[in-house]
Amino acid sequence: MDKAAVTTVQDLVQPTIRATNVNIYYDDTHAIKDVNLDIPPKAVTALIGPSGCGKSTFLRSINRMNDTIPSCRMTGQITLYGDDIYDKKIDVVQLRARVGMVFQKPNPFPKSIYDNVAYGPRIHGLANSDADLDNIVFNSLQKSGLWDEVKDRLDTPGTALSGGQRQRLCIARTIAINPEVILMDEPCSALDPIATAIIEELITELKERFTIVIVTHSMQQAARVSQKTAFFHLGKILEFGDTSEIFTNPKVEKTKDYITGRYG
Amino acid sequence: MTDITPNNSHNIPSGTVPDFIPPHRTEKQIKQRLKKRYRKERIFKAVGLGGLISGLLALTVMVTSILTTGLSGFTESRLTIDVYMDPEIIGSLEGYSTEDRIDHLRQVNHRALIRNSLRIKFPEVKSRRDIFALQKLVSSGSRDEVRQKLMKSDDVIGTTIPMDLLASSTVDMYLKGQISRDVDQSERKISDKQLAWLDIMASEGRIIKGFNWKFLSSGDSREPELAGIWGAAMGSFLTLLVTLAIAFPIGVSSALYLEEFAPRNKWTDLIEININNLAAVPSIIFGLLGLAIFLNVFNMPRSAPLVGGMTLALMTLPTIIISARAAIRAVPPSIRDAAIGMGASKIQTQFHHVLPLSMPGIMTGTIIGMAQALGETAPLLMIGMVAFIVDVPEGVMDAATALPVQIFLWADSPERGFMEKTSAAIIVLLIFLVLMNSLAIWMRHKFEKRW
Ligand SMILES: Nc1ncnc2c1ncn2[C@@H]1O[C@H](COP(=O)(O)OP(=O)(O)OP(=O)(O)O)[C@@H](O)[C@H]1O
Ligand SMILES: [Mg+2]
Repeated sequence: MDKAAVTTVQDLVQPTIRATNVNIYYDDTHAIKDVNLDIPPKAVTALIGPSGCGKSTFLRSINRMNDTIPSCRMTGQITLYGDDIYDKKIDVVQLRARVGMVFQKPNPFPKSIYDNVAYGPRIHGLANSDADLDNIVFNSLQKSGLWDEVKDRLDTPGTALSGGQRQRLCIARTIAINPEVILMDEPCSALDPIATAIIEELITELKERFTIVIVTHSMQQAARVSQKTAFFHLGKILEFGDTSEIFTNPKVEKTKDYITGRYG
Repeated sequence: MTDITPNNSHNIPSGTVPDFIPPHRTEKQIKQRLKKRYRKERIFKAVGLGGLISGLLALTVMVTSILTTGLSGFTESRLTIDVYMDPEIIGSLEGYSTEDRIDHLRQVNHRALIRNSLRIKFPEVKSRRDIFALQKLVSSGSRDEVRQKLMKSDDVIGTTIPMDLLASSTVDMYLKGQISRDVDQSERKISDKQLAWLDIMASEGRIIKGFNWKFLSSGDSREPELAGIWGAAMGSFLTLLVTLAIAFPIGVSSALYLEEFAPRNKWTDLIEININNLAAVPSIIFGLLGLAIFLNVFNMPRSAPLVGGMTLALMTLPTIIISARAAIRAVPPSIRDAAIGMGASKIQTQFHHVLPLSMPGIMTGTIIGMAQALGETAPLLMIGMVAFIVDVPEGVMDAATALPVQIFLWADSPERGFMEKTSAAIIVLLIFLVLMNSLAIWMRHKFEKRW
């Protein structure tokens, strides 16, 4: 039984991800300032805020994607189920297998659909046999709602799919490594309304098994899919709480201005 | 290295920039400006077109001149001569074992066989000088042809068989119209008597022209009609093989390291500048380097494709590194992000995604680098690949020359018969270069990826 499928006691007593006094800098740019945030398990947490406020920067610090940017420095602590992910003992490759990521621009590998989904399990050695791998690919495509559309053409390149299908392929690729957390950075911004609706539905299903953090510019999307919302402004979190609470009764003036479209 | 782009730079608050209203211009002013603009355009077009046409013209002149002199290098002339396999000259084979017979037949005075056959054909020729001139009609290589015939089967001994013997270079040139019979005998290499004999042969249909296979299949020779480019081609091939084996792995891994792993600091900047400068260093300098290091310090063999290949590898490295870096840089960052986001290590990202995607570009650059190396002469001169070598090299340690060096050697030869060989060899070299460049272009088109 995989650990993502059941709610453990641990899940109830502590957040999946806890950020404490996080500061992130790009050379002299102070992009994230003293952020504290608890991300609850098996739920969707939305990060909203005006452009350039540091949502992506914060999101990318959760699976240490910022390590690839030489100018990027970080202080503070981020824990995943209590483990400090910036600890020297943590292997960043293992971390990214636990915290998957879906990007703004759908970016399947220029390989076959099958190989796209099988890539993660292959490099992490998750399948013991070809049948195992077939199973993982089938399950992941099924869960991402893509199976019926691609089952007859698993050998065609993933880049030949439509934009929405590509994004679902990227989601399938991520869930194939069975992560604990899935980070999504504006996953629908390049998609049309119908493809967006499909992905939103998918996110709602996925939160039963995964902890999801999503960056979005669409207030409606945040309201529809998330249970918790954090409002970022100039690198700080101005407000964090239940999504229903934030959208109906924001405590901070700036949040109110932003979600009503008067600012941003 | 990231897909995060600060996109708040366009948030210019409205109203802070005053509206700029351009001053009105009269219709006449506008027309004048237009006229000036059109004139400039016309001049620019004319200059561009002129440049293009003169370039094309130069190219056509070059290609036609090479073709007109070079194409005849691919044909040869033969004279049909009834060769009498004189048992007296060949000698008795009585009591020899099979091996001894062959050995004996190899050492027969074949020259005498040909001389006698010619004298039978032209019995009126008596003086030593004339006999010598008569014999000069056929190439010294015709001896090998008679020898081969004899060694194949000794049944022919005592019979007379018509053989198409290779004509000498002078005769060949005369038959191709490169020597005019209208000038005085003293001013041409072929005498009046020789011309008379040739006329008789021609009237009897004993002069044959054919494709010169030897030119493609044999090594160099002192005799133009026997010389071929196979030795030089093999030399070039072996040299390029060494160049590729050294320059490709080193070039690609350097490019990969510089692009993906090296920290950005003043040292890597310095290295980058130096690589770019290295690409512009005259090739003879690399030859000097090869001479100083490989030959003088490491005492490697002179004239060997191994050393030539190592020297050319030094020269090709910058080309490969620069093109490989460009190809690696052209792989979109989103692919790297995707791989790293999936938990692939840096090395896995490179070998599973970046390298395969940039390989067509790398290959294109490599082929162009190889084509450059194929046409390079100067560095090879410095390390002694310029000697007269008859044997076709069989390994990278054998003495060899290369195609461009062979062209240089033949062009330098006082023997007039080598002129058409020079041009013919240039044609062969050009064909190889065009093929390699077409391959590069084809690969670029074929594997161009859309992501
Ligand atoms: N690679 C980088 N190098 C330098 N500065 C960066 C880099 N990436 C982001 N920044 C800066 O960090 C700040 C936060 O950027 P970030 O991309 O996190 O904003 P965001 O909230 O995701 O914006 P958007 O909604 O437009 O995607 C911005 O001021 C930006 O200019
Ligand atoms: Mg962003």
